[in-house]
Amino acid sequence: MLSVPLTRLVKVSDELSIMIRHLVVEAKPIQLSTLTHFAALAAEDAGFAPQQRDRIELVMDEACSNIIEHAYAGRPGTIDAYVEIRPNCELVIKLIDQGKSFEPESVARYLPQAEPANIKIGGLGLFLMRKVMDEVKFEFNIPGIGNRLTMVKRI
Amino acid sequence: MESILTVNEIPADAHAKSSAPVLQVTGRLDTNTISVLEKALMRAMATGAKSVVLDMSQVGYVSSTGLRVLLAARREARERKGNIVLCALTPQVRDVFDMVGFTSLFDIRDSLEQGKRAVA
Repeated sequence: MLSVPLTRLVKVSDELSIMIRHLVVEAKPIQLSTLTHFAALAAEDAGFAPQQRDRIELVMDEACSNIIEHAYAGRPGTIDAYVEIRPNCELVIKLIDQGKSFEPESVARYLPQAEPANIKIGGLGLFLMRKVMDEVKFEFNIPGIGNRLTMVKRI
Repeated sequence: MESILTVNEIPADAHAKSSAPVLQVTGRLDTNTISVLEKALMRAMATGAKSVVLDMSQVGYVSSTGLRVLLAARREARERKGNIVLCALTPQVRDVFDMVGFTSLFDIRDSLEQGKRAVA
């Protein structure tokens, strides 16, 4: 871990605040459990039921595995993970990396209804991310930031 | 936090009803642990077994990496006219299986005993 999780509160009105937590880790598989735990804890604190918490943990695993495996592909780098617990019952996860960009629509779509012999397993991580989260947005090569994946889940 | 997975083959005398190797899987099936299951499956199938029974009652987490390995093992077993039989899925694993459609794809049994009988 490159940083301990930092927490700050951003006031959006006199009564409401957004809690933002930030963690930086090396983009290595060994860090996946730290990242998934970070997301699961935020999901719990946001009030998600255990099944949804487990799904959010899984999505974090899939998203970060993709960054490590495809964006960095063995090159050294970092993942900046942000979780935002918003007062309107939303959990927002933002992952920032400096790796290679990709075209999400070009990834072969996983089709769960396919005949067993024709199942294409590529895109399974993306499928799970889209299945679990209410919003999934990829942005690439943002000046001064890098690549940013934003995922939103509402209770 | 650490990702841990162990896979133990249940000795033959303990599963006399089954003609297939029985593997007891414990822990998390993810990127950091999946090689443990891959190797155990390879060892089990290297004996010439057509089918393998997996006791999944102690697996609380599976990611897409784990799903890929299970699917590959199923393909291999089906080519041998056998199958991969998954027993006693935990609610967490069943939820992931439901989301990706694996529940209808795999031979899933409620208990290890049922799984052993399926390949007897």
